[in-house]
Amino acid sequence: MVGAGPHGLAALKALLQNGIEADGFERESDVGGNWNFGADNSRVYESTHLISSKPFTQYPDFPMPDSYPDYPSHRQVKEYFRRYADHFGLRARIRFSSDVVDAVPVDDGRAWDVTARDRGTGVETTYRYAGLVVANGHNWSPKRPAYPGIEDFRGKVIHSADYKDADVLRGRRVLVVGAGNTGCDVAVEAAQNATHTWHSTRRGYYYNPKYLTGRPSDQVADGLLALRVPLAVRRVLFSASLRFAVGDLTSFGLKKPDHKFFETHPIVNQQLVYYVSHGDITPVDDVERFDADGAVFTDGSRADVDLVVLCTGYLVSVPFLQHEWLNWDDDHPQLFLQMFTPRFDNLVVTGLIQPDSGQWTLAHWQGVLAARVAEALRRHPSTARAFLSRAGAEAGRRYSAGAQYKDSTRHYYEVAHQDYLRALQDAIRELEAPA
Amino acid sequence: MTANPVRRKTLAMRPWDWAFPPRPVAHREVLSALPDPPTDRPPLLMVHGIAHGAWCFGENWVPAAARAGWPAYALSLRGHAGSGGARHLRRTLMRDYVHDVMQTITELPEPPVLIGHSMGALIAQLVADRYPLRGLVLLTPAPLHSAMGDLVAIARDRPADLGRALVGRTLSMEPDILFEGLDPATARAYSDRTGTESPLVQWELLLRRRVGPVRCPVLVIGTPGDRLVRPADVERTAESYGVEPVWFPGMGHDVMLDAGWDRVLDTVLAFAADLPAWGTAAVR
Ligand SMILES: Cc1cc2nc3c(=O)[nH]c(=O)nc-3n(C[C@H](O)[C@H](O)[C@H](O)COP(=O)(O)OP(=O)(O)OC[C@H]3O[C@@H](n4cnc5c(N)ncnc54)[C@H](O)[C@@H]3O)c2cc1C
Repeated sequence: MVGAGPHGLAALKALLQNGIEADGFERESDVGGNWNFGADNSRVYESTHLISSKPFTQYPDFPMPDSYPDYPSHRQVKEYFRRYADHFGLRARIRFSSDVVDAVPVDDGRAWDVTARDRGTGVETTYRYAGLVVANGHNWSPKRPAYPGIEDFRGKVIHSADYKDADVLRGRRVLVVGAGNTGCDVAVEAAQNATHTWHSTRRGYYYNPKYLTGRPSDQVADGLLALRVPLAVRRVLFSASLRFAVGDLTSFGLKKPDHKFFETHPIVNQQLVYYVSHGDITPVDDVERFDADGAVFTDGSRADVDLVVLCTGYLVSVPFLQHEWLNWDDDHPQLFLQMFTPRFDNLVVTGLIQPDSGQWTLAHWQGVLAARVAEALRRHPSTARAFLSRAGAEAGRRYSAGAQYKDSTRHYYEVAHQDYLRALQDAIRELEAPA
Repeated sequence: MTANPVRRKTLAMRPWDWAFPPRPVAHREVLSALPDPPTDRPPLLMVHGIAHGAWCFGENWVPAAARAGWPAYALSLRGHAGSGGARHLRRTLMRDYVHDVMQTITELPEPPVLIGHSMGALIAQLVADRYPLRGLVLLTPAPLHSAMGDLVAIARDRPADLGRALVGRTLSMEPDILFEGLDPATARAYSDRTGTESPLVQWELLLRRRVGPVRCPVLVIGTPGDRLVRPADVERTAESYGVEPVWFPGMGHDVMLDAGWDRVLDTVLAFAADLPAWGTAAVR
């Protein structure tokens, strides 16, 4: 099991709970992954709070404490993962400060040789396992678009991966590129700290509020799903609520969304529009090129800036495995249920998802499914094989609940949370009922 | 094993929990006693039944279990005994109680053996459906398969009590219903400590619940003369877990208080001592 972030912990627990011997490898000295603020691979910043509220975000068998707010801070989240690891006795099963540098199938694919480097001593050791679970995260390897002229730019360019707090913004003229949740958060912080802020986006988006009718908006959305309200009606309701609360975004100078609701990963940010309307953020077009003093945008306008924060997202990277083993196609693996490769029965990936809601309920059930497959391979191999034989045909299938995602690397892992969870549930039930 | 044809299927979809999470309660009463010196045994967490409170375990079981080397905890559900939420009791649902138990569990250092009594045993079974317990102990348990049969039995035995329940009042907790072996003064004193129950939760006892497979060992305890949960229901509950109930003749419904409570506790502790290490239990 590689990685002790939210997905790795859930998978390790599920394996151990089902009596399957397992070890974890984690390059950092603590659990929490992305939420282990300050670690090399952590991409949270000082001000990060969850954008999804507790009920679906938390593990279903380990609710967050009642004392946490609807949207806990990254510190509370890290504490939560530490308590989870302690409660289920996971720490003793994890090798910390141990960086997995290589993994190769041996014995005709019946086992894996995993090589890990101790970050303290630099010593490399190889261990043999009957199966390998990869949970190394997909939010850490920065995606940096190649802009013409960027080498001439005299100001500073950072990626959001290196953004930790608002200090770097103070007193600067800042261009924030990208309208993911990170991009919007950084733009808002820049509005509060920088001299002036430009925010460049490729398209218009829906900026969802954190609350609707006094309740976290993802809970309202889940309520409509619980009532089985169809997609078209939910679209109308959500667009209408935004139109009523905020109105036409183009009147603020923002772009009109070129897509329907639920077709892109939701942006949850209530403050962005506020700062745009106060003139602290100037929305601008896509960046065409840079020059010595700033950026030129596709509509021909320009901005003179001295700091660029690229919030252009992250790429999937599994440096210790050959691409073909994960059925890699272009720049992402094509997997069955976003977890299983057609190439091996004993290689599982968890965490290669980006739900339109919280993530750790899904992390939990991905872990349970991984454990059920491992268990079935031992006890009812024919059921397991029948299940895994579909991996080839179903690799790359999307779980979008009917919506058409905008094609961009950002949405390869997008899943509609309830649609995907139902697929996981069906798979678990199939393995529970050996023919 | 034909009486329970229901196949237990894993339930991952809980849309109502995500859309309408139970409200937190301001204060949860948890009584505890820890062994001195500490041992490496898993904690025992005890959940009371209708109109009771943590006190019913606090009287005898919590201190006795700690003396025997077990970290012992007992929780008062919201609206009961020393916990907050009494003002909202009339709106309280079973899922709120499940939430209270889950919150208490996450505060424990490791997965507990969960011990539920009566309605608390139903709650414990619902908790076992979502959380990997070390072990599950059901004392004169309210059934997952609906307490309708018990209600009918109560209606025959004491029609007035049924009437009370129908209008939303709490089922009678008179001494002769709860105890068989206590002297009248003690029995009366315990009976007087019981409070009120949420009417909605009393109704919910009649629902049939769907749950997933339970993977931890289960112990079921009943009394043949029980006046709240029929022995037939105890038997059916045990059967659904593939175990035989352990019977304690001569005791009333409240096995943790009635004369002979120490023998029941011994059975529970022997079960707990035999549990496999966490994670090695067989699939049920
Ligand atoms: C700014 C930000 C805000 C977010 N907000 C939310 C939110 O509100 N709600 C939500 O549900 N999700 C949110 N997310 C998504 C979040 O990334 C996931 O919830 C979660 O952290 C992903 O877990 P993971 O275990 O897959 O990966 P990670 O958390 O990235 O963990 C991977 C772990 O693997 C380790 N590792 C990697 N490679 C190796 C190796 N070769 N050897 C050993 N160890 C290795 C890393 O050190 C790390 O500990 C947010 C993400 C970001 C960046």
